[in-house]
Amino acid sequence: MSAVVYIRLYLTRILILIGMLSVLISWYFVSPEADVIANELQIWNMNIATFTLFVGLLSVYSRYIRSIMNREKYWQYHLYAAILIVVWIIFGLKVGLYSDIYQKAYLCTKITLHIAILGQLVFFMISACYRLFRMRTLRTAIFACCTLLIAICNAPIVSATFPAADKIVFWFLNYPASAGSRALLITGGVGGVVLGIRILLGLEKGALRATEV
Amino acid sequence: MAMRIPELKSQYIWAILLAIFTVAIIHPIEIPIPMSKATLDVYNMIENLPEGSIVAVGGAYVFAFDLESSASMIACLKQMARNHLRVVFVPLSVEAVQMHKYCIDMARVDEKYGGPWKYGRDYVQLPYMPGMDAALVAFLTDVHSAVATDVYGTPLDELPLMRDLHSYKDISLWICIHWAFPMIVRYVTSERGIPSVYFAQAAAYASYAPYMAMYPGKVFMTLGFLGGAQYEKLVGIKGLGYAAMNAYSFLVIAFVIFVILGNITMLTRLGEEEE
Repeated sequence: MSAVVYIRLYLTRILILIGMLSVLISWYFVSPEADVIANELQIWNMNIATFTLFVGLLSVYSRYIRSIMNREKYWQYHLYAAILIVVWIIFGLKVGLYSDIYQKAYLCTKITLHIAILGQLVFFMISACYRLFRMRTLRTAIFACCTLLIAICNAPIVSATFPAADKIVFWFLNYPASAGSRALLITGGVGGVVLGIRILLGLEKGALRATEV
Repeated sequence: MAMRIPELKSQYIWAILLAIFTVAIIHPIEIPIPMSKATLDVYNMIENLPEGSIVAVGGAYVFAFDLESSASMIACLKQMARNHLRVVFVPLSVEAVQMHKYCIDMARVDEKYGGPWKYGRDYVQLPYMPGMDAALVAFLTDVHSAVATDVYGTPLDELPLMRDLHSYKDISLWICIHWAFPMIVRYVTSERGIPSVYFAQAAAYASYAPYMAMYPGKVFMTLGFLGGAQYEKLVGIKGLGYAAMNAYSFLVIAFVIFVILGNITMLTRLGEEEE
């Protein structure tokens, strides 16, 4: 078996298993030795995660530099990002991540823009509601009524006038909305476990590139 | 022939909403903030913590998404500073450091703003710890092994607060202002029994509310900007939560009007289709 096949097939899976055990070991084995091993593995895990930041940086640059050299689509944005990354790294190292000037620069650029993008959703949401909450069928009527009820009852003026409004909101959030969300999460969780097992068994095509060798 | 109401263009709706926002900003109205039991429970729980208790504030997600939680957090920081509690900020995502600094700055609790807290003695900001769950578990198990310095690069042993914090056993409460709350419930509350508070974003509340039922008296949550406005009221300030609910009060009227208008438009067209 060639070294590449060995690494792709076995070594990666062994490393994943060790990583998983690091989380489980101190939970299932009550002994000081197990705790010491688990703690050591957790710190290794942290160090690897730190290292992956540098790997990510190198990957981004190798991709962007290639794109800029070949004048690929959107190369201008890649150039802009490549310059900006260097500027922010130098800036952060020079003044410190917790300095007022770094905070100010970060808030005034990235954060403000990101919040503005999220804020735009209110505009789109209400214009979408104008078109979608038309009660043609029982389903759309229930959907629209529930949404309207929560939106109205959540308004402080309404809940101050009608104290029961607060209870209605929390009932909707704690029971029907919660049940739906949890069902989605549980489904995702079960899917994740199944996917994990399939990956470790090498059944998932392309995962870890194990089936590509 | 029935009157036919034309469809409104999206641009008109956006323009009306923009006008509403502008009015809400220029001319805010006095709105009453009724209290919810969920917010009151969090406030009372923190109020009952003994003086000098160490509270960890941390988690992971993106600043812009977490901003909604800052309304409650800022008010809570003021409460904790007033009650002489001590806080360690534990960032588990890249932007969490900036989020924590934003809350501290806005709460004006540091002595440089005339507040009662002194850095290193009353609060400490740790640097970003990569590794998510692994970093959290390592931190809870042995703080000084998991992280060597604070965000300024000062060794932890040189900070008076950090000399009292060695593992999860020294933490009285964990406050999460980030979306990744399940991670906190799993490792902090479920496995180690530390009570946790989540200043939930409105969109996240329903997903994580079952944790309150699973761990009664251990997991507490507030609801979005409304919870923030309520917390501000309890602490006696008017901040981001109050401003957001002010704008929301205007906006909800527009929301209802547009939904009704949409349905009336549909009804007039239904009549037309039947003819």
